[in-house]
Amino acid sequence: MSAAGATTTRSAPRRLRLPRLDAGERVRAVVILALLLFVLFGLPPLLSGYWISTSTQVAYYSLVALGLGILMGRTGLVSLGQIALLALGAWVAARLFFATGLPFPLVLLGAGLITMVLGVLIGLPALRLSGLYLALITLMLAGAITVALTATNFPNGGGGFLGHVETDRGAADVRRPLIAHGDTAFFRYTVVVVAVMFLIALVHVRAKPGRAWAAIRQSESAALAAGVNVTLYKMWAFALASFLTGVAGGLLAADSGQLFITSFPTSDSITLLAVVLMGGIYSLWGAVVAGILMKLLPAMLNNWGVAADWLTIVFGAGVLQVILTAPRGIAYQFPRDMARLGRLIYGLVGRARGTPVRERAG
Amino acid sequence: MPSWEDFKPFIVTGLALGGVYALSGVGMVVLYRATGVLNLAFGAVGAMGALLAWQLINHNGWAEGPAFLFCILFGGAVTLLYGAIFGPPLSSRDPLIKAVATLGLALILLGVMDLIWSDKARSMILPTSNNGFEVSNVFVNWTEVIAMGFAIAVMTVTALFLRFTKTGTAMRALANDREITATLGVPVRRVEAAAWLGSGLLSGAAGLLLSNLVGLDATTLTFLVISSLAATLIGRLRSITVTFIAAIVIGLVNALVTPILSISQYRDMTPFVLATIALLVLSGRRGSALSGRAG
Amino acid sequence: MIEIKDLTVRFGGVTPLDKMTVNFADGTNGLIGPNGAGKTTFFNVLSGFVRPAQGTVTAFGDNLLGMAHYRRSRWGLRRTFQTEQAIEELTVYDNVLMVLEHSPKDSRGNRDEDVLGAINFVGLSANPHARVGTLGAGDRRLVEIARAVVGSPRVVLLDEPAAGLPDEETERMSSVIQKIPQEIGALTILVDHDMSLVSACCAKTAVLDFGKLIAAGDTADVLRNDQVKQAYLGAEEVAA
Repeated sequence: MSAAGATTTRSAPRRLRLPRLDAGERVRAVVILALLLFVLFGLPPLLSGYWISTSTQVAYYSLVALGLGILMGRTGLVSLGQIALLALGAWVAARLFFATGLPFPLVLLGAGLITMVLGVLIGLPALRLSGLYLALITLMLAGAITVALTATNFPNGGGGFLGHVETDRGAADVRRPLIAHGDTAFFRYTVVVVAVMFLIALVHVRAKPGRAWAAIRQSESAALAAGVNVTLYKMWAFALASFLTGVAGGLLAADSGQLFITSFPTSDSITLLAVVLMGGIYSLWGAVVAGILMKLLPAMLNNWGVAADWLTIVFGAGVLQVILTAPRGIAYQFPRDMARLGRLIYGLVGRARGTPVRERAG
Repeated sequence: MPSWEDFKPFIVTGLALGGVYALSGVGMVVLYRATGVLNLAFGAVGAMGALLAWQLINHNGWAEGPAFLFCILFGGAVTLLYGAIFGPPLSSRDPLIKAVATLGLALILLGVMDLIWSDKARSMILPTSNNGFEVSNVFVNWTEVIAMGFAIAVMTVTALFLRFTKTGTAMRALANDREITATLGVPVRRVEAAAWLGSGLLSGAAGLLLSNLVGLDATTLTFLVISSLAATLIGRLRSITVTFIAAIVIGLVNALVTPILSISQYRDMTPFVLATIALLVLSGRRGSALSGRAG
Repeated sequence: MIEIKDLTVRFGGVTPLDKMTVNFADGTNGLIGPNGAGKTTFFNVLSGFVRPAQGTVTAFGDNLLGMAHYRRSRWGLRRTFQTEQAIEELTVYDNVLMVLEHSPKDSRGNRDEDVLGAINFVGLSANPHARVGTLGAGDRRLVEIARAVVGSPRVVLLDEPAAGLPDEETERMSSVIQKIPQEIGALTILVDHDMSLVSACCAKTAVLDFGKLIAAGDTADVLRNDQVKQAYLGAEEVAA
């Protein structure tokens, strides 16, 4: 005997379930689309070359942040080696570019997939043990990849597996796709690719993996009791994060042309963690905020002649603040802080004007 | 393949480095067992202490002895301060969260160090590095002897401390079950403070020794903690003896690869390689069942 | 029918379950005992979180202990926990759907109907697309029951399903649990301290004390049993 509905409707095959959008979400989708169009077409004319280049970096670092955000926000796993994976993705993309004549989208795909495989291989033994072990092993992986890449350098048209040749002997650049050669064109290309990746992440979150991740976050034992293969879904999150990071590496490779290990310091992996935490790991928007924190702010400070180290200090304090003030895991912090900041400014403006400001609850 | 003679000097450096990794590892494991915090800023604290000592010697006219002492005390003070402020509010959280919090401290210190001292190459030679003795055609300087000897001393003292003193026993009880220990009337905060302070002093000492054995550079010193972390991971964040041995092995292997030219450039991957092997062994043994506590 | 034979769990220096041997028949069975008697440990063994030192569990002829923990749900084992486990970020619908998509006993058939069917079964009046975080405690507990009965389960383990609920919600819970044998057809084991709930829902009851089975049989008889009363009185007053 079974619950209502078990009298099988054999005639209707199971339809692919598209996520249902209610009215509120439809509005949000339109807003996001409008924002995207603005970024693609309205923004570039307003920016000079330096800022276009910075914005491109913001875009693909948001992608790296998205990966880490999904990992931390959905499964509570921490990786301290995402920037090393980014470097690896860039290496793979460069190698594929020079070794094969593949069109750029396939190079990106290849970079993503190979980085994904490596991420999973490294993560798998640790995934079953404890979150802390995984964090540690990824930190060690970061160190290892940095050492390896320092020794092997990046492919730049040379022969052999490593494909590296000394710069004075005819090193070549990783070339951007023909349709996106100029800086503005490549910026648009990057934004489109990143938007597609965000969409892929969104689909994950709204469908079966997302539900399983939510169950795991709530309680691993309850998830297991509900039949969720917890290890598999943790690995899936890790694989997705690595894939996204690999694709970002490909974009970075084409953006920079020439790659140097000094662009991927180990401390950047820690900084990435900090900005992802501050941006908010539960919402996909948090990744965009993180990208802005990581690449736009330093560029702005640079422009004003202020040392970027101040940001590092702020980010460090940010980590502590987020962890202290988020009781049940870390979620929704930034929007709340922004709301509080908004109220503060509102209050200050009111006080400056001499008008009494009524305190809003909560 | 290099000869035995080529390897010999690296045995010495390896043991010395391994010794420092060992005392760092032991410091981190003791703190972890007493408070549940794996202090990932361990290296950064030591780095800052060493840079401060350098500053005091070269710009403020301090003599070396007091400056080195300052470095060690600085390590203890900063770590204790962090533990006093951020220990209690996070005490019931998952160890992963507590470790991530220490990364906040690491970032702050890295930022400050870069701001004040930037990347310039510096050196700080301990007086003990200039003298030494010869063993079988290899020159061993006193700093290396200190590193190794100090490591052994730390491990022995720590083991004895944990076993035979009141505070030490309290620390072991805390590691076992914090709540029960608190109800037994053990002054939990004080015991934890002792752990923070002790581990902090060790980080200062490690920073000092490493700045000598490796170099005085904020980033390098901060991330050398990776080698010690590999040792703590191999010791399952539990066993001081295994951590000690693992650290020595890591130091030795890392150094011994140096003369093997074909892979010499990759020698700093040692901690990762050894830790991964350990993880594979560990996860293979555990199988896929979760072990639960009695319900 | 579930046959438990000589089930023993050892942990540290403690033996939470000691040679437990009992059969659970179809229908709703109670499992009671003072705090620390081993009831949740027993459920943990069934769920696969704890490995017994010895003993067997045969459910409908299948060796349950031989299955990996997450596979048992696919086999048809469901469970609720003492602490709230309904996923707050997801909607009611998604909460129930999640269980169904990981343990399909019959992968054909309309999932939508199964999910809504389970939600209707527990009598949840809230909007299925409301986030569980916005619901009250009683409704959340009902969501957990819905998750436990969706998808034709064979065995349902309920661990203090009414814990923390006021009397009228407990009544609601009781009537839902009583419907399970007939409408869902699953063998149910109910652990609770509320004797009126156990009496109302369970035809048969087993009693654990310090890991040992001290009584099993018709619920009314068991509750009158002197040894059982002693076990409870040893720790606290029992409202019989």
